[in-house]
Order: sequence, then structure tokens, then C-alpha cells
Amino acid sequence: MPKLIKWRAGAAAIVEDPFTSVADDQEIPPGDVIISLRRFHDEGARLLGGGRAVGVRIEPNEAVEDLAYDLPMLAVVALAFPKFRDGRAFSAARVLRERLGFTGEVRAVGDVLLEQAPYLIRCGFDAVETEDPSTVARWTAAARRYRHVYQRAADGREPAFVERQREPALVERVGI
Amino acid sequence: MKALTANRLADGEVVFWRGGAWMERFADAELFDDDAQAEAAEGHAKAEITCLVDPYLIDVVEVEGGVAPLSYRERLRALGPTNKPDHGKQAAGGADIEVLAHAHGAARSTGRVNLIKRK
Amino acid sequence: MYRYDPIDQAMLADRAAEFREQCARRLAGDLTEDQFKPLRLMNGLYLQLHAYMLRVAIPYGTLDSDQLRALARVARTYDRGYGHFTTRTNIQFHWIKLRDAPDILDDLAKVGLHAIQTSGNCIRNITADPHAGATADEVDDPRIWVEAMRQWSTFHPEFAFLPRKFKIAVTAAAKDRAAIKIYDVGLRLHRDDAGELSFEVHVGGGLGRTPYIGPVIRERLPARHLLSYLQAILRVFNRHGRRDNIFKARIKILVAALGVEEFSRQVEEEWAKTDKAQVDLPDVELARIRAAFAPNGFETLPPVSKAFAAARLSDPAFARFARHNVMAHKVPGYALVNIALKTPGETPGDASAEQMEVVADLADRYSFGEARVTYEQNLLLPHVKLDDVPAVHAELAAAGLASANIGLISDIIACPGLDYCALANARAIPIAQDIARKFADPEVAEKVGELKIKISGCINACGHHHVGHIGILGVDKKGEEFYQLTLGGSGEDNASLGQILGPALPADGVTRAIDQMVEVYLKERTGEERFLDTFRRTGLTPFKEAVYAEAH
Repeated sequence: MPKLIKWRAGAAAIVEDPFTSVADDQEIPPGDVIISLRRFHDEGARLLGGGRAVGVRIEPNEAVEDLAYDLPMLAVVALAFPKFRDGRAFSAARVLRERLGFTGEVRAVGDVLLEQAPYLIRCGFDAVETEDPSTVARWTAAARRYRHVYQRAADGREPAFVERQREPALVERVGI
Repeated sequence: MKALTANRLADGEVVFWRGGAWMERFADAELFDDDAQAEAAEGHAKAEITCLVDPYLIDVVEVEGGVAPLSYRERLRALGPTNKPDHGKQAAGGADIEVLAHAHGAARSTGRVNLIKRK
Repeated sequence: MYRYDPIDQAMLADRAAEFREQCARRLAGDLTEDQFKPLRLMNGLYLQLHAYMLRVAIPYGTLDSDQLRALARVARTYDRGYGHFTTRTNIQFHWIKLRDAPDILDDLAKVGLHAIQTSGNCIRNITADPHAGATADEVDDPRIWVEAMRQWSTFHPEFAFLPRKFKIAVTAAAKDRAAIKIYDVGLRLHRDDAGELSFEVHVGGGLGRTPYIGPVIRERLPARHLLSYLQAILRVFNRHGRRDNIFKARIKILVAALGVEEFSRQVEEEWAKTDKAQVDLPDVELARIRAAFAPNGFETLPPVSKAFAAARLSDPAFARFARHNVMAHKVPGYALVNIALKTPGETPGDASAEQMEVVADLADRYSFGEARVTYEQNLLLPHVKLDDVPAVHAELAAAGLASANIGLISDIIACPGLDYCALANARAIPIAQDIARKFADPEVAEKVGELKIKISGCINACGHHHVGHIGILGVDKKGEEFYQLTLGGSGEDNASLGQILGPALPADGVTRAIDQMVEVYLKERTGEERFLDTFRRTGLTPFKEAVYAEAH
């Protein structure tokens, strides 16, 4: 049973996962659930009407844009990594945060490497399911690894070129 | 005939299995006539993740003066690059190097047994 | 040239520290090879036939003398005393130990060098015209834009796990010395009558199993929108590139499958939704980068140098060097001096630690401390006074670096091939050595003229054989090394892919075939035709007949 690591205020912590992930062929239990996009299209309205928190799992070949109108009602979007090498979820997360304005939980599920932590956070993930909870400290450390970033992403960190504008002293070493 | 080879994790050196130890010279490699024994050794090797990268079995044949890997690629791994005779294992010279250097021809240049997994 | 500021330096240091930890975890067994491999690749560390290979990035092929000396030290301290310059203007060390890699990265970081993203499914080192900043025919210094892209692409969190590798090349000149049409994205800078800069954007070029000349997806992109537009291209690729088959995963396959129009439409659609101000660099940052590349310190000299002219008259070897290796500079009295790493009989693209130090020293004394790497695996000193070229030539000659064969038949591109590379099917280096030795006589080479031979040891085409005037592809036929020849490729303007000459030849037949084809060319050529021109006029027939006649 995977554990949930959540990022809050710059640190990773193991939390109780209130959500049950439900496969398409399973009955939906009571309580908060994460279901597939297809199932959400069929049953989402009913589930949300019943007052529980609902999350949707998006496979890499599905478009997060399909959820655009439903996002305000969703607690979680779970983006799947069938293999850690499949980086489509990074684009999906950025679109969710930066274009669609999603403010709920963006969770990475599947084959995710600790080493991907800095990328996950920058793209707007704030939770990851992992089999090995002992790695929490490492997730925190990995996420803090880089003191600067070169480009803007979903995490709101100031890119280097803005830092340079703020602190001209940094700039003095450039050039012949 | 088969032999078991890998690259050493820490330095990338090409090594060959001999009774559970790893030798740097192909001449010191253990030769398996029995497939089951070869595969058992491979199984052991695959567990040694702190020592090795990617152990695999290779075909070995008799050649003039001794034995050599069947494939050209594996002979290069056992010798070194042909453009720099003083680099790689070949620099040590000796009769076993000569045997490898003079072997020629091959059935498959990748030289790996079971490269394509058969179900 | 651009010097890394404390932020750039911190990036390298943080990455090196991260990799040190990752190596330690791998050596302790906390990471399996499957988990470690993508991490090690993102730091340019391959496991090859004999040892690990480290690929160090040389952004836009530009090095300063300190960096060259640092590379020489790495070669000497951690490797076998030499390095190999590649067709992506990087340098490779072929005898690296994993346990030394963290120290090497620390050493490199001190001089602003790194191996970041030189492998893996991410945005790789971006290459540019090696004459940037020195040539009259450019509309801007392309390196300004490459440095902007370098920073934007470094540790880009969205594009670290692409379907496949991603290569970008840039030119700002009328003549394409960066081969922009054979890369995933090729960019050509233009300046309109109002002085505004824009990019011509090619997407979907590439070699390998399915070679393509990159089509234009956008004729003119205002230069200030480079990064936001690139983000759109990369996002479309990341989301829609194939992930089921690594041989069909490059963006060229996506562009071909969708068609240029549809692909372009998808990019434009994504770009239209992009908040460009969040991605594109503000003017002040572009100006900062631009200032770093501003020309500085050129003297006012007469366009003709008496010393240079006199040396040409008195020394035939120097005259030959001047003819082939010395190229015009935009500033009167200066020149670009090419250093061929192609001494016939040597491994193409290799330089010893001593040779690197000679070039570093020459760069300091004669070229504002700057050297370049070309995608044809040669070096160059970009800003040498014509007056100084004879002295430079003399020192190059003493170091075995004065081959006067740039662009000639012995200036061969060859990948490391089966002698080093785990992917190869056949060796490339010995073929190159053999051909170069055959045509070692500089008078013979000159008589043949411009003839670009490119050799790859496998279909991955790191030797660019598809775009060789003569291309040679090593294949494995029943375990023996055979070589498929192609004719008429070109990576420059009028880019074209070579046509297959005929059945593959055995290793010992290649040089003879080259010789036969040179004979045909010398017989058939009219006027000023180079080999490529003659081929384009006559087609394959006379060459094919000459090479395969004996077989019939």
C-alpha cells in the first residue's frame, strides 16, 4: 500500500491518505476516492453531489484540459507515471497549475524516482505516492537541491534573470 | 562454450567470471560447457549490483592457439581499441593477447547469448 | 565570451554535489543500475566497451584557455592523456572511472565546464556557427541566443524526460556552418530592413535510421519570443512524441507523421495560449548576455599583412596552410585560424593533453584567450592577427597540429565506432586512418579539393554519414565489418541526404573504392566543380560503375 508524501512549506512529510484509488472495475467504496477520467465522466457528477472529495487520475495519453470545467470541484488530480522515463505528466502538471489555475492537490502516482523530486515540485506537484516512506527526508533534501533556477515554472520560484535584476552585484563577473 | 563477462561498476573495467571472482584477463575466464552452470553463474553475478554492471554470457570458440570470444565485439572488449595498441588490456601483451588479436570472423557482432529473450 | 556569474557557478556546483550523492548511493547499492542509469546519463556518463565515457559540454563550441587547460588536466589525471572532440562540439573522455566522476565534475565546475544534459532524453548541448563573432556574414552573434537557450534548457523541469534526446543548432550567417537542417530544431537568424531580428525555425531534421532534412515550420519568429516558442515546440513534443518505440521517438517522426502544416498548427496553438512574458527573457537580461559577447580589444590594422604575405611567398607549407586553414575575419587585419585534428594516420578529432595546452597557450597569446570547436571535429582560433599567423603556424607545426587539410579529403569526420562505442556495429577510426593515409600527400589532397568524407560505425549516424559528400556507414554482415557508401550528401545550404552507391563493401575494399571514385571525379570534373558539384551533375552512374565494375 503506497504512502503519500506531501510537500508543505518547503518540506516533505508522510501524511495519511484520505483517498482510496478505485480501479474501473471495482465498486466505489464510501469516502473520498480517486477514479479514472473515463469513470469521472460517467459518475463524477453523482459522486460530487454526494458530498465527498473526488480526485481524477489522468493517464499520460489523456489530456488534463478535459477536466478544465470540473477542476474547481476536484480535490486531487493524480498524474500517472507508467515508467519514470515517461515525462508527459510534467507538462500536464504545468498546464493544470499555470494555465487552468488548479489549486487542489496534484499527485504523482506510479513509477516515480526520488531524483525527480526537484522537477516534480517545480512543475506543480505537491504530493507523491511512494512505496518507501523512509525516503521522506531524502525527498525534502532532493527538492531543495538547487539554490537557483533558470526558468519560471509552476512553483513560483524567481528565475535567475530576475534575481540578477534585483541584485546587480551578481552581474559584475560577466564578460571578457 | 560460454564465458561470463561484465563491466566493473566502480571503474568500468571489463571483467570475466572465474569461480565467483572477477578477472581482468579473458585468458583467466572460466569456460562453461554446461549451460545450466553458465546460467547459474549469471544469476549470481546479476545479484552483485554493488560490483558490476550488466553481466551477460558470451559465446567462446576454439581458435588457433587457444580460445576466443566468438564475436568481434567481445574480442575488442577483451583486447582494447584497435587504434591505440597501448590502451586497454592488449597493452600487457603476451601469448593470450596474441591469440585474441589473431582470431577472426564471428557469427554475431554483438556476441551476447540470449540478447533477444526467448519466451 | 560569456563568463559564468555566481548563479551559473552555483548551478554547476549544485549539480556536481547531487551527482556525487547519487554515485555514492549507486556504489553502496541503494540505487539499482536501472534507477541510476538515467541519472548518470543526464551527467553525460556512458558505460562503453572498455570503460566509462564522460561527455563534457562545450556550449556553442566556445572555450577559453583556462577551460582548455582544465580539459587537458582531466585527460592527464583521470584518463589516458587525450580527449576526443565530437560532431556536437563536445569533448569525450573514453577511459573514465565512475568513482572519479564526482571529482572530475568538481574540477570542471571550477572553470565553468560541466557534463549537464550531454546525454539522456533532454535538451542537449546547443551548437552554433563556429565563426560566430568573427565572421562578416552574420546578422548577429548567434551565441547570444544559444547562451539564452542554454540557461533556459538547463534543468528545465518539464523537459527532463522527453520521448527522446533533443538537439538544437543555430546560425546567423548566410553560409550554414552549423548544419542546422539536420537537428531537431534548427534556427537561422535574420535581420529585416528595420533592423529587427527574427528566427527561421526548422523542426524535425535528423539523421539515424530515418534521416530528414528539417522543414521550416515558421519563416519568421521575432527573436524576443525564442524561448516561449521553443517551449511550445517542446511541449507538443513532450506530450505527443511517441513513447512506444525508441526508434520512432524523435520529433522528426512526429513532424513527419502529422505533416509540417499540422505540426506547425499545434505549435502555434500552444504558443498562442502561452503567457509569453513568463517565458521570454526581458530585454535587460538579453542585453546582459549580449554585452558578454561584445567584441573587445581589436586593434585597427591594415587589411593586408606584410608578414603574412611574405610568409606565403617564402614557405610553401605555410602557403598551403593559408590556403586551406586560414579564413577571412570581419575585422581587417585579423583571421580565423583552423586547427585540423586530422593528421593523416591519427584518430580524427583526438587531441592530446599536450596539444590542448599548446592551443590554450596560443589562444592566450594570439586569440584573446578564446578557442572554438567545430562540428567537423576540428578546433579554431577565432581572432588571430594576420601578422601573427606565421608564428601560430610554426607552433602548431611543432605540436603536430598544422595539417593544412581543412575541408579536404583527409579532413574526415569519424565517430569513435566499435573501437569504443557500445552501440556500434563496425569500426570507423581505422577506415578514416586508412583513407587519410592514402591521401596524405598534401598536393594530392589539394588536387582533389573539397571532399567531405563522413564515417559512422552504426546507423545512429554520429559521424553524419548521411550528409557526407561521401558517406560511409559501418554495418555488420554475418559478424564481419562491411561498409555502405553513399554519395552526394551535404549538411550545409542545399542540404541533401546521400544516395546509396551499391552493396556494402568489406573493410579492405573501402579505400580502394574511395580512390576509384576520386579518379572518376578528376576525370569528369569541369571548371571549378568540387566533388559534390560533379556528383550532382553526373549522378551515381559513373561512380557506381567504377567501384562495382570488377564485380561483374
